[in-house]
Amino acid sequence: MKPAKIKKKYVVYTLITVIFLIVSTFIPGFLSVRNILNIIRQSSIIAICACGMTMVIIIKGIDLSVTGVLSFCAMVNGLLLLQGWPIPIAMLAGLLVGTLLGIFNGFMVDRLGIPAFITTLVVGNVGGGLALLLNSGRSIGGFPNAYVFMGNGTFLGIPVSNYIMALFVVVSSIIMAKTRLGVYIYAMGGNETVVKQQGISTTAINFFVYGFSGFCIAMAGILLSGQLDTVHPTQGEPYQLDAIAACVIGGVSMLGGEGKIYYSLIGALIIGVQRNILNLLGIHPFYQNIFIGIIIIVIVAVNIYKKNRAIELSKVF
Amino acid sequence: MGTTDNYALKTESFSIGSFLRQFVKTKGSVVIFIILWILASLFVQNFFSLNNMLLIIKQAAIPMIACLGITVVLMTGGIDLSLGYTLGLCSISVGIFVKSMGLPIWISIFLTLCIGLLVGLFNGILVQYVKVPAFITTLGSGYIIFGLAQIISSGSDINRLPAAFRAIGVTEFAGLNTTVFIAFGICLIMYYLLHLSTFGRALSAFGYNNKTARMSGIRTERINVLAYMISSFLVAIAAILLTIRVNCAQPTMGGGIYTFEVITGAIIGGASLFGGVGTVIGSVFGILIVKVIENCINLMNVSYYTYQAFQGIVILLAIIFENVKNRKL
Amino acid sequence: MSKTILEMRNITKFIFDSFGHAVRGSNVRILDSVDFDVKEAEVHVLIGENGAGKSTLMKVLGGIIPQDGGIMKLDGAEVCFSGPRESLHHGIGFIHQELNLCLNLDVAENIYLGRELGGKLFTNKTEMYSRASTMLARLGFDIDPHTLVSELSTAQQQIVEIVKVLSYDCRIIIMDEPTASLTSNEIDKLFQIIKDLQKQGISIIYISHRFEELKEIGDRITVLRDGKYVGTVPIEEFEYDKIINMMVGRKLGAMFQSQHTPLEETILEISGMKIATHTDPIDLSVKKGEVVGLSGLVGAGRTELAKSIFGSRTYYGGKIIYDGKEIGHQHPAELISKGLVYLSEDRKLEGLVLEMSIASNITLASLPRMYPTTKIQRQRERKVASESVNSLNIVSNSLNQLCNTLSGGNQQKVVLAKWLLTKPKLLILDEPTRGIDVNAKGEIYKIIDRLASEGVGILMISSELPEIIGMSDRIYVMRNGTISAHLTDRKDFIQEKILSYTLG
Repeated sequence: MKPAKIKKKYVVYTLITVIFLIVSTFIPGFLSVRNILNIIRQSSIIAICACGMTMVIIIKGIDLSVTGVLSFCAMVNGLLLLQGWPIPIAMLAGLLVGTLLGIFNGFMVDRLGIPAFITTLVVGNVGGGLALLLNSGRSIGGFPNAYVFMGNGTFLGIPVSNYIMALFVVVSSIIMAKTRLGVYIYAMGGNETVVKQQGISTTAINFFVYGFSGFCIAMAGILLSGQLDTVHPTQGEPYQLDAIAACVIGGVSMLGGEGKIYYSLIGALIIGVQRNILNLLGIHPFYQNIFIGIIIIVIVAVNIYKKNRAIELSKVF
Repeated sequence: MGTTDNYALKTESFSIGSFLRQFVKTKGSVVIFIILWILASLFVQNFFSLNNMLLIIKQAAIPMIACLGITVVLMTGGIDLSLGYTLGLCSISVGIFVKSMGLPIWISIFLTLCIGLLVGLFNGILVQYVKVPAFITTLGSGYIIFGLAQIISSGSDINRLPAAFRAIGVTEFAGLNTTVFIAFGICLIMYYLLHLSTFGRALSAFGYNNKTARMSGIRTERINVLAYMISSFLVAIAAILLTIRVNCAQPTMGGGIYTFEVITGAIIGGASLFGGVGTVIGSVFGILIVKVIENCINLMNVSYYTYQAFQGIVILLAIIFENVKNRKL
Repeated sequence: MSKTILEMRNITKFIFDSFGHAVRGSNVRILDSVDFDVKEAEVHVLIGENGAGKSTLMKVLGGIIPQDGGIMKLDGAEVCFSGPRESLHHGIGFIHQELNLCLNLDVAENIYLGRELGGKLFTNKTEMYSRASTMLARLGFDIDPHTLVSELSTAQQQIVEIVKVLSYDCRIIIMDEPTASLTSNEIDKLFQIIKDLQKQGISIIYISHRFEELKEIGDRITVLRDGKYVGTVPIEEFEYDKIINMMVGRKLGAMFQSQHTPLEETILEISGMKIATHTDPIDLSVKKGEVVGLSGLVGAGRTELAKSIFGSRTYYGGKIIYDGKEIGHQHPAELISKGLVYLSEDRKLEGLVLEMSIASNITLASLPRMYPTTKIQRQRERKVASESVNSLNIVSNSLNQLCNTLSGGNQQKVVLAKWLLTKPKLLILDEPTRGIDVNAKGEIYKIIDRLASEGVGILMISSELPEIIGMSDRIYVMRNGTISAHLTDRKDFIQEKILSYTLG
């Protein structure tokens, strides 16, 4: 491994440790197990979205449908629950809807050549509109206990949400690191021409990646509604940028081909921690928005600048 | 010398058929608008009345201004997702200047326009010089702008703005108001800029092929940054007029939904996501189409939520249609 | 040992114009009834100038493009490839010059892309690394298969490409300039590999310009020229002059009669300029009214030199003096206003806005000058555009015709018209007649000559020796990013001589 890479990892780790130590002296109870588990529980929503988003960004796409799809799937799931459907079936319905919307995104991007940002933006908007439509803009709540347990209960002392998040992270990582599909996803982000040359179907990859992203977003929405015991038609809003920020902080490159699920998880946790700290300090969420916006732009800018320099230097002349 | 003699004297072949075909191809939105208008007049109660027509025009005026701005950005092949949030920032800013700080009206307006220009400058520099993709830049800047708007307003609106300030937009005139005439004036200026001036030619060339444009001596760097500045400047104007109209300066004005609606208008109007294509008439009628649909939805008592959900489908169809039409192999 | 396994007969390929029609004319065949055959276990060298057709012939063999005429036979049976995978399927491996690798994956992943080892779902990475390791070691290269390809040197990347192709079961391997970025050590290893492959009965088609190498490993040499098959020579009969003559020994035909005389004043003077940090400095000058030819292989750096002057590219050190004043790293807009213009190599990508009309394209570089009030005057535009169209004989239906519907020759004329409109003092042309029919070529030569006689300095980059010899007053030859020869006497304008300077 190149020296530069090792340095970066250690710098980040030390930075995080230092920040944690500083914060824990000012805020008693910050470093308690309970608080940490809570942070992870809250970050799990972002982390699950980030699993799918990482893959999408790796193939040089983007998924701007988080807000809408999250709300819509949660609403579908919630309404079915209130009508007495069994929990697993209701959840399955929500997940299915999200996956189908995702596959539709993949179809538009691959077969019709429409830029990912506008396709997913539109689909997200439609989803958001449908979420409002389904219940005329009203929120719903009061879900069965078993369902709320999923969001807020603990098992062996660890919140159930964390297990679900861990499941998503582990499965996603396995897909990326140990399967053919994972290699192809990275390859497609690296050099799509070569991938096609080798006879690999880029259509299948697009369908999977966007579909999986939709699936993750749906799960995130369902989990969130379990945590809050409500579905508000616009609850998906903050998660759009948080999901992207988690990936960007985790080192996923906007130019494609690079990124690891574990690092995006860390990115999600960092965002969760940051929100937690700022909340505890009484700093308004709006400052957090500005902070995240700036972080995204700065990290992406630096990354792109470095990549372009590398390309310049590698030219023969 | 071949078959190309006397070009100056030769008139180009002209026929009604080819003219119509050309018209539909480039001004499809006008055709759709006419069809829509006819259908609505026939099937929707209370649509076909002078009052309703004037209402639609008044409602379309402000988004039209923002739409012309985003059309310029789309012509460069970029996008501005911070549009709606800039609207909110400018709205609350003008409110603060005019009411909370009590500055003279024209100074307030001037400062707000400057804010618009600065936002555009920021976006433009990031997109052109730092080479961050437009959607990420404007996504991030939109978030930042939203946060800023909330902070400077402490999250609250400013109501009951000075009458003299409001007069700028609300003064009635032949059934319409000054806002409509301002919008019309802006349409004329933009028409000159995009269709009659060298800027428009250079902009189009840049959007189609930035390499050729630059190597043909076009200052592509300036054009790219200017495009975003023009867009945000027009958004600032729209924000001021909208603030006047609702008599309330709101940091949450606009937002993602507004961005979406304005982009829909531009795309229905024929602006291409890939750059190079965009017309004033197209975007004007694109917004008119959006507003006519909205008007019909209201008249037919369809739930607004239904409309919102399917607004997305309309833009999807418009994009697919454009795409299919432009597929040259 | 001398069984013929591949036969290509009468392979013909036309250039396609913008309409998608094959342009049938005597000079626009990229391949003209070419014959080529490969014997078992031989190393068959394929050489020719730029544009001779070697890459195209190999692309046909590799299934990348179809031929327009002629047949291919493998082991006597006729074959026709619908794509590169089918060609690979038939045992034909292609090691390209440009790398076909995913830089973000590691060596083993690249080698096995599309045919990973392992079960239905999971890949067996350990096995992949171990086998890749073995392959690399067996071929004598010390590359860790875990390394990301982006971290390898260009030479090592090339080796990965070679290993990748070799890992398929091929009977014929096409190698296109494989030694371009290799060190002499690595070249030795490569030659050892080639000899081992031969022992295994595998044939190699080797494209290269490096004569010393050809002599070492080649069995036969085939020469192409202007899309035609010239001849095949067994290695024992290799003679430098003979081969050079085969490559360029065309009758120069009716020499273009130039009417201009260069003036004394210099319009462009370059001294000590480097197009890259590691190349040698360049000295070059162009006088007013002079046509200076710039010859060299593709990749020698000619376009880079032109773009460095024109401000589309950075350069390192040295001075550029134009019209008496030093210029450096300026925006093309500034240079154009001073009369320095560049007609680029790729007219579709950098010369024209295909989606815009002829008139718009012609006026594109003159907007500030023509319309100082920023208002576009349609009358003036029509007048100016139609004057250009007339004087350059551009064939079209109307001035509003979009450029993507024009033929290649007319497209080039539109680009030329654009630049002529700016009243240049120095015109840099990059392959001005590439892909253009004979008549249009002749017209363009006349225009260039006329410009020179009006005092315009012209720097013409061209890969066509007859063109350069016919048009130039002086010729520079570029090689490896710098000038390798400067011919000032017309008597020295001999094709063979220029070619040998090009090849070095």
